[in-house]
Amino acid sequence: MRHTRRTGLGAAFALAGLLIVAAVAVVIAGASSGPSAAEPVLPASPRSALAPENVPLGPRPAAYWAPVLAATAAHQEPAGQAVVADVPARTPEGTTNIVLVLGEAERRAGELWVRARVPGEPDDVRGWMPRSALGGYTPVHARLVIDRKRLTATLWRNGRRVFRAVVGIGAPATPTPSGHFYVRNQLHRYRRPFYGPVAFGTSARSAEASDWPAGGFVGIHGTDRPDLIPGRVSAGCIRMTNRDILRLARLMPVGTPVRVE
Amino acid sequence: MSDLTLDAVDRSGAIAEAFDELTGGTRADFFRKAVIGGAALTAALETPAAAQPRNTAKDVAILQFDLGLEYLQAAMYSEAERLGEVSPKTLEWSRVVGANERGHVEAIRGLLGRDAVKSPSFNFRGVTEDDRVFTETAVAFEDLTAALLKTQAVQVDSRRVLTALASLHSVEARHAAWIRHIAGIVPAADAFDQPTSKARVVKLVDSTNFVTSAPRTRGRRQPGYTG
Repeated sequence: MRHTRRTGLGAAFALAGLLIVAAVAVVIAGASSGPSAAEPVLPASPRSALAPENVPLGPRPAAYWAPVLAATAAHQEPAGQAVVADVPARTPEGTTNIVLVLGEAERRAGELWVRARVPGEPDDVRGWMPRSALGGYTPVHARLVIDRKRLTATLWRNGRRVFRAVVGIGAPATPTPSGHFYVRNQLHRYRRPFYGPVAFGTSARSAEASDWPAGGFVGIHGTDRPDLIPGRVSAGCIRMTNRDILRLARLMPVGTPVRVE
Repeated sequence: MSDLTLDAVDRSGAIAEAFDELTGGTRADFFRKAVIGGAALTAALETPAAAQPRNTAKDVAILQFDLGLEYLQAAMYSEAERLGEVSPKTLEWSRVVGANERGHVEAIRGLLGRDAVKSPSFNFRGVTEDDRVFTETAVAFEDLTAALLKTQAVQVDSRRVLTALASLHSVEARHAAWIRHIAGIVPAADAFDQPTSKARVVKLVDSTNFVTSAPRTRGRRQPGYTG
């Protein structure tokens, strides 16, 4: 009886050993020949509906403009006493006044000051304004060049010429001022054929017309006298045909820097 | 010029409505949606864009609200990068995060299609010109967006939108941790993050006064130019 039990136990161990060897053999064989149909297959990872792409910043703008939130002064220095120009919150045409932000900022006595190009005369009036007096910055990618010698207006966007037209400029007694300015508003649907269908207001001010009721600011507009274009015919404004000003209105945003050379 | 709240973006009130519904969700709803896997989910996510089903009204509202926040963040980083007034070190991470955020804007606009809302106007009030304030504001917005996305994940109808929000969420959380570390704030102080409500997001964004009305630069008055 004892002998029989010992023999049975030995057989059981032998059978277990065989099963282990067989199982290892199956695993090795499976590993070498790939998954069988009976094995579970994990689902593929879901893909996001969002494309994993970064977006670069794009071309450097020609300028930034900011609305004037409250009438203020442009100062020679940040927090300084000397005033370069008074800057109202509204233009003479009733639109929000704007300035060109020049990308310089300084903190003085806890207040942030930024340097800006402001409306006025003579050429290129720059001053420091409290940041709190200005609204948000808007980038502009266009710039307009007025060539007083060739009597042309050329609009550039991101380094490419996108518009060119012949223009009328100030007569010798009332010349269009030269320098760096910007477009600060756009008027339309008014009833004055003299200015054509669209008129842009600029920050340039004519020295000869500064006592005008609206301040003597130079505009860029259409005309009811296309026969005078090109020429030196205006009181300082830049005129072009109505067809050209309508084309320009589709291309040139408010805030565009204007260089008159 | 009067400042507006972020609600200005929500023209139809659909966003507010959808967020009011957000509190009605349950954890069970979330797990029912989140644990679904396998071929059905993969197939749904890989369906070509042209054949994808329309987003539900609730998903549209959620994505529109997210788009508003992404517009804000993308505009803030872009402005800082363009102005270049913050330190070179700050510009370095801001460029990376800004490119991500602009990518988020484009991607959500793509998800929304015709339902994409336009960007409002922003006034960052000098934040993009001050290194310390810019960094702190960036941390606040990255934390806020990650917390909001957690809330939204519980409520979206579509698995496709849920997966999109999850992939947004992890990147916003990485931004938050990265900028926190730079700012000297512990990136992960607690074991668990809490979701946040739409009401809190609106309140915080509103308190910044970053969202503004567009200035009126066009008019019909008679020109008074020199002529």
